[in-house]
Amino acid sequence: MIHAPATISLDARNIELGATGQLARRVCFVVAFVCLLAAILLPVTGVMKWPLFWRCWLQNWIFVLQIPLGALFFVFIQHLTKAGWSTVIRRPAEVLASNLNWLWIGFIPIAVLVLTGSAGKLLPWSDMAMLFEEAPAEAHLVEGKLAYLNVPFFMIRAVCYFAIWAFLGTWFLRASIRQGRDGGLASTRAMQKMAPPAAILFGLSITFAAFDWIMSLSPGWFSTMFGVYFFCGTATCGFSTIIIVCLLLQRNGYLVNLISREHYQDMGKFLFAFGMIFWAYIGFSQYMLIWYANIPEETGWFLARQLGDWGWLSIWLLFGHFCIPFVFLISKHPKRDWKTLMLAAGWMLFFGWLDVYWLVMPTIPHDLASFATYDAAAEAYASEKAGLLRPVNWLLMVGMLSLFAAVTIGRLRSHPLLCRKDPWLNNSLHFENY
Amino acid sequence: MTSINLEPGVNRPITDNTDDQPGVRQPLVLNMDRFNQVTQQVCQVAEARRTPMAWYVCFAAALGLMGLLGFCVLYLIVTGVGVWGLNNPVMWAYDITNFVFWVGIGHAGTLISAILFLFRQKWRTGINRFAEAMTIFAVICAGLFPGIHVGRVWVVYWLFPLPNQMEMWPQFRSPLLWDVFAVGTYFTVSLLFWFTGLVPDLATIRDRAKGKIQQVVYGAFALGWRGSNRHWHRYERAYLLLAALSTPLVLSVHSVVSFDFATSQLPGWHTTIFPPYFVAGAVFSGFAMVVTLAVPAREIFGLKNLITLRHLDNMNKVILVTGCMVGYAYAMEFFIAWYSGAIYEKFAFLNRAFGQYWWAYFLMVSCNVITPQLFWFKALRTSIPMMFILSLFVNVGMWFERFVIIVSSLANDFLPSSWDVFTPTWVDIGTFFGSFGLFMVLFLLFCRFVPMVAIAEVKAVMPQADPHFGEDQHDEAHESPAAEVRS
Repeated sequence: MIHAPATISLDARNIELGATGQLARRVCFVVAFVCLLAAILLPVTGVMKWPLFWRCWLQNWIFVLQIPLGALFFVFIQHLTKAGWSTVIRRPAEVLASNLNWLWIGFIPIAVLVLTGSAGKLLPWSDMAMLFEEAPAEAHLVEGKLAYLNVPFFMIRAVCYFAIWAFLGTWFLRASIRQGRDGGLASTRAMQKMAPPAAILFGLSITFAAFDWIMSLSPGWFSTMFGVYFFCGTATCGFSTIIIVCLLLQRNGYLVNLISREHYQDMGKFLFAFGMIFWAYIGFSQYMLIWYANIPEETGWFLARQLGDWGWLSIWLLFGHFCIPFVFLISKHPKRDWKTLMLAAGWMLFFGWLDVYWLVMPTIPHDLASFATYDAAAEAYASEKAGLLRPVNWLLMVGMLSLFAAVTIGRLRSHPLLCRKDPWLNNSLHFENY
Repeated sequence: MTSINLEPGVNRPITDNTDDQPGVRQPLVLNMDRFNQVTQQVCQVAEARRTPMAWYVCFAAALGLMGLLGFCVLYLIVTGVGVWGLNNPVMWAYDITNFVFWVGIGHAGTLISAILFLFRQKWRTGINRFAEAMTIFAVICAGLFPGIHVGRVWVVYWLFPLPNQMEMWPQFRSPLLWDVFAVGTYFTVSLLFWFTGLVPDLATIRDRAKGKIQQVVYGAFALGWRGSNRHWHRYERAYLLLAALSTPLVLSVHSVVSFDFATSQLPGWHTTIFPPYFVAGAVFSGFAMVVTLAVPAREIFGLKNLITLRHLDNMNKVILVTGCMVGYAYAMEFFIAWYSGAIYEKFAFLNRAFGQYWWAYFLMVSCNVITPQLFWFKALRTSIPMMFILSLFVNVGMWFERFVIIVSSLANDFLPSSWDVFTPTWVDIGTFFGSFGLFMVLFLLFCRFVPMVAIAEVKAVMPQADPHFGEDQHDEAHESPAAEVRS
């Protein structure tokens, strides 16, 4: 084992942002404000229809939500396994996860739509009269699910998810800061104790959130794997963002010599394992089993993603989310170089966004749920556009990400960037891959 | 940093290393401070002239059971598959249940040797040899069942895509053929991995061997290992590559096994969560079997300093985690069966819980979901008798899980007029228990003649293996972050 260079510095200049970041934060706020305002003006001025806007809103909001969820997973898994290597990158992850205490705001418009009964285009089960009119067969199927898919229960569940996430996200940050102040082992022990229940709550809440907000957009469709698939999305976005935040901090002269190539290599491995391989494994299993069994109730969901432009987008997703980054990141060298790792993390974050786009945006034409009618449908929908270049997508994505970045920068400024009294810190500073 | 008591010949031997003070890694090898002690303790099992009595007793019992297996298989081949309780519609029952059960058991080995290796879990070194051997023997047992299930055992090689004058090929679109490839690859890579790891240890035994036969036999298997720098370099490379190759295999084998069921349209079989759910279940049952075997083995062969309480504690945690995953999958299946609105799916799951096989379902849930929850308590995780009993429960539960999935879905499918009940015959039961004989015979021979713990790897995780060992006290002053914060 080679000892780390003697220039390890834990003084404030290295581990506290202080006044810096103020400009970046302001810029982010301004960009967020401008983009979100411009996005909202599109339907207001009649350039686009409201239902489509809210679908885009939901998609981008879920994408941004995945980032702190993935970061939360990262944080509690370190405590669960009593990991020693990761201490130096835990604080940025904790700060990212703490954003779970305000991101529920993005859900308010959806909640208002559902409560006022005007979400029929988005969540068809919330307006059964409309569904019966448009697709009686599907409505008949959905009728049996109303014990779960109904407005009051949907709202109660959403409140539960937000309560769980806000609690866990802020609890881990607070406990860690307390530990950084007193340096005692009690807080570390408390975090270790909290990790197992956190894992269980996290697993169940993201599963049902995925059912509620994504799977129920096509209420006839179902897949037992769906919660796990959504988990892959949170891991992809969360791990990419942790890498990006750490790299940005270091490029700006913070955490110098504290986070080393060794840590980046391991973060790269995490991204590689969960964001690419596990995602591909889960996605493949889900698709292959449904394709192979070929039961009309299940295939419709995928058929809608194979029509017109969507077929190309699906293939893009396969290559962009798995094949290309797999080849790129399999060697250790790109994981250890900040430029290549930054590229990989940015790439994966984008494809994390595209994955949600692929999940949320397509609407199943109701007459599609059968292979018998597939050829005719494929012809009819050959000109179907995926609409990826729609300005509203990009405005909402940039707007919400900027808002997220602005709040995150603010929180990074108000806490030390390092868990400097963590009992595993020494272990982490001297960590090396072998 | 650490406060490990490494004094040679300590008065009170350390037995409990399960304490978890944050920032401190507990020692994984207890009461030993010299590498030679590890060599001695592991090799003495293989070198001893007389093995503990318990070994002979177990071996006799295992041989008896293996004889039963041989008889049942012979009877089956001579008479035909009709001697099993299979009927139409239950054409898969004990045979495939046993196949999936044994393949599942075989998962702990690769998980420990590959995934835990990549996760840098040093405690794996105490149990990997052992678990990998178990994997290989379990896969042998698993391979037996499809082989004898085909009916005409003499043409079992048709399972493989061999060129022949009839131009007859297996169905490449069938998951059953993928199984042949998946299990075959798994067996090959596991065997290679196991053997690669064994080479330095076999050379150790060869070098210590007194008798001519031992020298020749161990020498042949040691492949001329001299422990030179170049040998070690190549060895480490090979080990890393095999670990990387094995990692996807941990997921692939049981995923493909799950495809046997999930690609069908049968309610209760066709569900998308099957691949990861089967993998979690396999790791769950595999670790349970490692605990079942490790607990008596460390007792009988005096390996408590190498397979410590911490190793067992960690394994029980893995059982708890994978048990929760299995519980999650059960819950998802049930919820989506209702949510799907498909009447056949709903029926399949209600039938599992309340139909003619309710007792099997009850056993499955109580053993697989409820039992592992006891491992939340550290007192139970570190209690030897308790973990032994709980691991047996898990083994039973995981067998019944496969039985429930396979038989309950087949017995009551779409058409009530074709429903039937499966009742095992004595040949079914004899073959199943007999397979434990085969497994135990192989395992006991392994314990007797092969180093049961990876000697070289265990030495590498001892603090003495660190080139800076002994400098700790000196280094601590300027390494401590607390000291730096003050400065």
